Amino acid sequence: MNLVVNGDAEAGPGGTAEPVESVTGWKVTQGAPALVGYDVGGGYPTPSDPGPARRGSRFFSGGTSERTALMQDVQLPRKGPTGQAAVDAGRVRYTVGAWLGGYAAQEDGARLSVEFRDRRGTPVALTVLGPVTAGERGGRTGLVERDGEAAVPPGARSARLLLVFTRTGSGTSNDGYADAISLTLSTAGDWS
Amino acid sequence: MKLNRRDLLKAASAVGALNVVWPLSAGLSPAQAREAAEALGAQFDPAPFTLGVASGDPLTTSVVLWTRIAPDPLAPEQPLPEVVEVEWVVATDRGLRRVVARGKAPASATLGHSVHVPVGGLRAGTHYYYAFRALGKTSRVGRTRTAPSGRISRVRFAAANCQAFHDGYYGAHRAIAREDVDFVVHLGDYIYEHGPVGGDHVRDHDSPEILTLTDYRRRHALYKGDASLREAHAAHPWFLTWDDHEVVNDYSGTGGGAPMMQRRAAAYQAWYEHMPHRDGGESALPDPVIHRNRRWGDLLELSVLDLRSYRSAQNLPGGTILGADQKAWLKQNVDRAPDAWHVWANSIMLSQLRGRPGGGYMFTDQWDGFLAERKEVLDHVHKSGLEDLVVITGDWHSAFVDDIRTDFDDTASPVVGTEFTAHSVTSGAYSAEWNAANGPLMGKANPHLKYFEGNRYGYDVYEVTPERFTTHMRVIEDRRDPHSPVSTLTTFHVDRGAVGSYEDPATKKSPAQYRRD
Repeated sequence: MNLVVNGDAEAGPGGTAEPVESVTGWKVTQGAPALVGYDVGGGYPTPSDPGPARRGSRFFSGGTSERTALMQDVQLPRKGPTGQAAVDAGRVRYTVGAWLGGYAAQEDGARLSVEFRDRRGTPVALTVLGPVTAGERGGRTGLVERDGEAAVPPGARSARLLLVFTRTGSGTSNDGYADAISLTLSTAGDWS
Repeated sequence: MKLNRRDLLKAASAVGALNVVWPLSAGLSPAQAREAAEALGAQFDPAPFTLGVASGDPLTTSVVLWTRIAPDPLAPEQPLPEVVEVEWVVATDRGLRRVVARGKAPASATLGHSVHVPVGGLRAGTHYYYAFRALGKTSRVGRTRTAPSGRISRVRFAAANCQAFHDGYYGAHRAIAREDVDFVVHLGDYIYEHGPVGGDHVRDHDSPEILTLTDYRRRHALYKGDASLREAHAAHPWFLTWDDHEVVNDYSGTGGGAPMMQRRAAAYQAWYEHMPHRDGGESALPDPVIHRNRRWGDLLELSVLDLRSYRSAQNLPGGTILGADQKAWLKQNVDRAPDAWHVWANSIMLSQLRGRPGGGYMFTDQWDGFLAERKEVLDHVHKSGLEDLVVITGDWHSAFVDDIRTDFDDTASPVVGTEFTAHSVTSGAYSAEWNAANGPLMGKANPHLKYFEGNRYGYDVYEVTPERFTTHMRVIEDRRDPHSPVSTLTTFHVDRGAVGSYEDPATKKSPAQYRRD
C-alpha cells in the first residue's frame, strides 16, 4: 500500500501551469508548486514524453518560484505485519519511488527524500532520490524513474517526505517535475 | 604490501597529485587503503568507533551525543549489517559508574551508520561522561556539559575554523581539548573538497575532488583521522556552523542546477552524518537547519548563523546572504534579546574590507557581497537598541578585530558591536611579505579595522563575565608539529555597555601587521 497521500498529483486544485496555494496531502513550506496537466503542452511533459506508464492526468512542477518545497509526514502503522512490533524487531523494509524530471537541456530539477524518524523526531534513516540531471534524461523533456529501498530501523515511528523543486538560470518557470511518488513497507519475509 | 609515507609523499610530489598513488585506485583492500591513509598522516580510534565520539548543541537539560560505526573508515562501503544496534550510556563520572541515562539507537547504513542521540532529562550546568557500545566493542569515553540556567558569573568557550588537512596537523585542536572551556564553536571549513595539493606538505588529501556521498563520507573520515580533532570533540560539546568548503568553494546554496543540487545534498548529508548536530523538528534531511539561538545562563545568547544554505548569488541588488526566513528570525532575536552578551557565530566576515584606500572590496563572497542586507540587519540592531553584540568569525585564515558600524564608509555612524575574526586551525594564510605590505593598507582603507595579524595559526578563547567580554588569540608555534606548543598572542576586551574593543596593555606589543592604536 502506498503510504503517500496524493503522490500522483491528481487530487486538489491544479490542472494548469499556474501555481497553487495548497496541495492536498502536502504542506507547502516554500514557494508554490503547480500541478500541471499532461494536456497543457507548451513544452511541459505530455502523455507521449518519458514518464510513468500509468501517469494519470497531472504531475507536480515547481511553479514559478526559484525553490519550491512540499513536505508530508507519514505515521507508520501501529499494528499489523509492518507495525511497530515488526519495525522494532527489524523485520520491515521500505521502498521509496518517484518519477523525476525536467525540461530539455535545462538543469531545473526535482528531488524527493524520505527521512524516517523515531518517536522523538530524530532522523534514523534517509533515502534521497534525484534531482535528475539533463544528462540523465538524455537532454529530453520528461520524467525518469528513481527508487531506493532499505531497512526501517528499529524505533522508527514516522517518515517525512520532502519534495524540492529547484530552478536554475534566469527563466520564470521552475521546471522540476515529479509524479508517481510512493512509499511502501514490506516485511523481510516478502523479499525472500 | 607495505606502504611507506615518505615514498608516497615523494611519489605524489613527483607527479603533482596524490591520487595517482592513492591505493584505492590500485585495487587495494579496505585494510590496505587504511594502512596507506595512516602512512599519509591519518590515524584512527580502534574499530568500529574509528572516528571517535562527540557531543553538541547543549541545552539546559539535553545534549546530542554522536558517533559513527566505521570499521574501515576510508572504505566506500562498511563491512557491517544494514542496521547496527548501538548502546549509549551517560554518567556523572568518567568511569561510567554513576549512570543517569542509557539507551539504544539504530545506526543505519543509509546514514553512514551514524547515530545522533538527543539525551534529555539532564541537570543544567553539569559535566557528564558518555560512551557507546556496538559489535561487542566500547568507544572511548567522551565528556560533555549541559548549559547552565539562571545567573552565572562566567562562561568560557573556544572557536575554531578552517582546518585544511594538508596544511598541517591539528595542534590547535589538541590545545582546545585541554582548554577549560564550557563549549566549542566551529565556524566552518571543517573539510575541504578539492583533490590532493602535492608539494611539500605534511600530509594530503587522498582522493580527487569530492562529488558524491561516498566521496564526502570518506573525506570527513579522513579529517577525523587526526587524533587531536577527535580529542577536541570528545572533550567538550560543540556548536556548529559551516562555510563553503563543506560543499565547494564560494557556492551559493540556492544556485546551480541539478548536478550542483545532487552534490549539495550529498555534502549536507555527509556533514550531518559526521557532526553532533541536533536535527529534526521542522526541518528534514538532506537539508539540515543549522541556524539556532541558544542561551548560556543569563550571561550569553548565542545565535548560530547559516550563511550558505539560503544565500543568493553575490552582488545582486536584492541579494541575500541569510535568506528571507533566517533574516526575519535574526531580526526577531534582536527584538526579543535578553539583557546579556549577544554572540553571533558567523562563518564569513561581516565587516567591510577594502584592500587599499580607494580600492574595492577584497572578497564579495563575504557580507561585502550583500550590502543592502548587511545594512538592513545592522540598522535593525541599532534601532532596536541592542547592546553588547560580539560577532565571532572564521574563513579569513588571519585574525582581525573590527568595530561594526551601521555604515562602514561613515566614521560618524554608530558602532553597534565588535567582530573578532579568528586565526585558522591550519588553512594557509597569505605570505608574511603580503601581510606586512597589506596590513597597513587595509588599516588605512578601513577605519573600523583595529587589528590584523596573518602570520600565525590557532583559535580563539573567549572569557565572558557580566562586566567584560575578553578574546584571547591562541596561536600554535608550528603547524607541522601535531604537539605544537600554544601561546596567547594577544588579548582584546569589550566592556559591558560600552562600544568598541581595546587591546590588553600586557600584550599590546605583540607582533601584528596592523594595529590602529
